[in-house]
Amino acid sequence: MKSVLPIVSVIAALAVVPLFVQSNVTLNFLVVTLLIALAGQGWNILGGYGGQYSFGHAAYFGTGAYVTAILQVRYGVNAWIGFAAGIAVGAAVGAIIGGLTFRSGLRGSYFALVTLAFAEVLRIVASVAPITGAGVGTLIKLDLRAQALQFQSRAAFYWLILALVALSLLIAWLLERSRFGAWLIAVRENEDAAMALGVDATVVKLGAMVLSAAITAAAGCFYAQYFLFIDAGIAYGTWISIEALLTPIIGGVGTVFGPLLGALVVKSLGEGAKLVAGDAPGLDLVVYGIVLVLVIWFAPRGLIGTVADARKWVLHRSSRSVREAGHG
Amino acid sequence: MSDRIDSFSRRKFLATTALGAVAATIAMPSVLRAQGAGVKLGVLHPVTGALSYSGQQGRLGATLAIEEINAAGGIKALGGAKIEPVLGDAQSTPEGGNAEVEKMNSAGVAAIVGGYASSICLAVSQAAARYDLPYVVDVGVADNIVTRGLKNTFRFGPGFGVIAKTALNNLVAINNQAGKPAKTVMIVHEDSLFGSGLAKLLNAQLPQQGFQILETIPHPTPTRDFNNVVLKIKAQNPDIVIPANYYNEYVLVARTMQQQHVRPKGIYSVLGGAASSYKFVKEFPDAAKYIMDCNHWFDPRNPKALALKKKVEEKGQFYTYEVYMNYSCVLLVADAIGRAASADRAKVTAALESSTFAGHVMPYGPTKFVNGQNQGAAPVNTQVLDNDIKVILPPAFANGKPVFPMPA
Repeated sequence: MKSVLPIVSVIAALAVVPLFVQSNVTLNFLVVTLLIALAGQGWNILGGYGGQYSFGHAAYFGTGAYVTAILQVRYGVNAWIGFAAGIAVGAAVGAIIGGLTFRSGLRGSYFALVTLAFAEVLRIVASVAPITGAGVGTLIKLDLRAQALQFQSRAAFYWLILALVALSLLIAWLLERSRFGAWLIAVRENEDAAMALGVDATVVKLGAMVLSAAITAAAGCFYAQYFLFIDAGIAYGTWISIEALLTPIIGGVGTVFGPLLGALVVKSLGEGAKLVAGDAPGLDLVVYGIVLVLVIWFAPRGLIGTVADARKWVLHRSSRSVREAGHG
Repeated sequence: MSDRIDSFSRRKFLATTALGAVAATIAMPSVLRAQGAGVKLGVLHPVTGALSYSGQQGRLGATLAIEEINAAGGIKALGGAKIEPVLGDAQSTPEGGNAEVEKMNSAGVAAIVGGYASSICLAVSQAAARYDLPYVVDVGVADNIVTRGLKNTFRFGPGFGVIAKTALNNLVAINNQAGKPAKTVMIVHEDSLFGSGLAKLLNAQLPQQGFQILETIPHPTPTRDFNNVVLKIKAQNPDIVIPANYYNEYVLVARTMQQQHVRPKGIYSVLGGAASSYKFVKEFPDAAKYIMDCNHWFDPRNPKALALKKKVEEKGQFYTYEVYMNYSCVLLVADAIGRAASADRAKVTAALESSTFAGHVMPYGPTKFVNGQNQGAAPVNTQVLDNDIKVILPPAFANGKPVFPMPA
C-alpha cells in the first residue's frame, strides 16, 4: 500500500458512524469489534509481518488490562496514566518473553507453544496472586467522568478505540515502508538468508515483539476501562489469544487492513448468526462455526489475499483477452 | 354474466381479505394496549459456554415464573399486563452479559433478572447502572456485587460472607450436639475464588472453634483424578473432610473416597458442587449417603416450592438451586412492578428497595433490602438421607434430623 489515503478514508468513514447511529447496541458491537481489531493488529505485526505465530498474545492483553486496573484500584493512579503504564508494562513483558524465546532460537511451532505456555503461567499466577484479586478478579469502580477514562456515551468510547485502531493502522503502514519492516519481512521469508545478508534476526524479531505486545496491551487497557471488570480467565484466557490471531488470518495476514477487516467479518458473522438462531441456546455458535469453516475453506489467504488473487486473475484474463483480440 | 359475477366476487374476496389482514395488523397493538401493554423483563443467563447447564436451569426457573404470572392474569396493577421475557445469553463471559444489557436496554425492559456467575453479575450490574436499570442478581455470591453503592443492583439470595459464617456455626452446632466427636479436619478445595476464599476463611476460623486442620489441599478445575488426594486423606485419617469444589470434582472426590473405603465421621461441604444436587443423589446414591452441605435450598415446607419441584421434574429436569432462585427473583420483580404500578425504572427500583415480598419459595427471613442485599437471605444445611436431600438446619425449615457421625 503506497498511499496513506486508504487509512484516512476508512477511519474518517468509521468516525462519522456515531453521528448517524444512535443505537448503543450497534455502538457496543462496533467498540468490541474495534477492540478485537486492535488486539489482532498487535498479533499481525509479529505474526503477519514477522512470521512468528504467537499463541499467547493474552499475555500482553492481560498485562495491559491488569496494570491499568490495579494502578487505579490499589494505588489510586489516574486512569489515563494507568492506561499508558499498561501499554508500557505490556511492551516490557513482550521484551522479556521475546528475549527468552528468540535468544534460545525457538522457531515455528516451538515458539507458538512457548508463548502459549507463558500466557498460561501468567493466567495461573493471576488467579492466585493477591495483587490481582486472585479468583475474585479486579473491579474498577463505575465513575463516569472523562478524567477517570469512563464515558457516559458509548460514542466517546468508540472514538477512543477508533483513534487507537487508526494509530495501529498507521504503525503497520509505516512498518511496510520502513527499513525495519523490510528486515522483518526478510526474516519471515527466510531467516537464515536474512542473517546471511547481515540482518540481526534476533533484534528485529525482538523489536517486532515489543511493538506487537504494546499494541495488544493497549487493547487490554481499553478492555479494562470499558468493561470495568477483569479476572484471570478474561485477561489471560486463551479466548483473546485466539481472537487476536483469528482476525488477521481471516482478514489477511501481513496486510495493513487485514485485522480490521477480519474483526468486522468475524464479529458480524457472530451477530448475524445470533439473529438467525433466535433464542435457541448455542445455535448461533454452530452457524458461526460453519460459516467460519467455509470462509477459511474458500479464502485460505484471508479475505484481502483472496480479493488480490481475484483481481490478478481478472487482470490476467482481461490482458489475455486483449492480447487474443490483438492477434485476431 | 356469470363470468363477471365470479370474477367480481373473487376480486372482492381477495380485496376484503387483504384489507382485513392490514386492518388486523394495525389494530393489534391497540387491542393489546386496551388489556394493558406488556411489561418487558430481561432474563439474562449464560446459556452457552462453560456455565451453560446452570444458565439453562436459571432460564427455566425464570420462564416458569413468568408463565405462572401471565397465566394468573398478569400484573393486576397495570390492568393485567403480561410479562414479556426478553431472553439473553451471556455466553458465560462478562462482555457477553454486557452486550445483552445493551440489547435489553434498547428493547425497553423494566428490569433484568439473572447473571448466575459472580463475574457476569459484576459486569452486568455496572452496565445496567449506566441506564438506571433495576437488576436483580439471581445467584452470584461474591460479596462485592452489592457493596459498591450501585442503586440499581439487588441480590435476593445470600452472599459469600453470610454463607461461610452460617456454615461454620452450623458445623460447630452439629458437632456439639453429637458430643464433639470430631476434632480434626481436612479441606480439599478448587483454586479459584470460591474454593480458595472458603479455605482461607476456614483456616482462620476453625482452629478458634477447637478444630485442628490437618491439611488443606488445593486443586485446579478441571481435575480428573483424585486418587492421590484421597490417599492423603486416608493416611491422615481426619474426622471431617470438607470439599469445596464444582460438580464434577465433587462427585469424583466422593466416589474415590467410597472406592478407597475412606469413611470419615462426616463429609461437610459449603456450596458443595454436588452435595445438594438431586442428580448426584440419583446417579451415585452410595457415594452421596450422609453428605452434609451448607447451600442454597428451597423451603421444603412451602407447598408452592413443592408444586414447582413437581412441575420441573415433570419436564424431565432436575430441581436445582438455579431454578427456584430465579423463579423467586422473577416473582420479586413482578411484585415490585405491581406495587410501583408502573414499568418506570426509577419507580421499580424504589419498589424493590422497600420490598417486603413474601411470596417466594426460599427458606428466608422477612425480605428487607439494605444496600441492595436482602437481609433475610440465608443458606440452609442439607444432608443426604434415605436417597433424598433433607434440610437439617435451621430448625424452622428442617424436614430431617442430622445423622452425625456417619454410621459405619
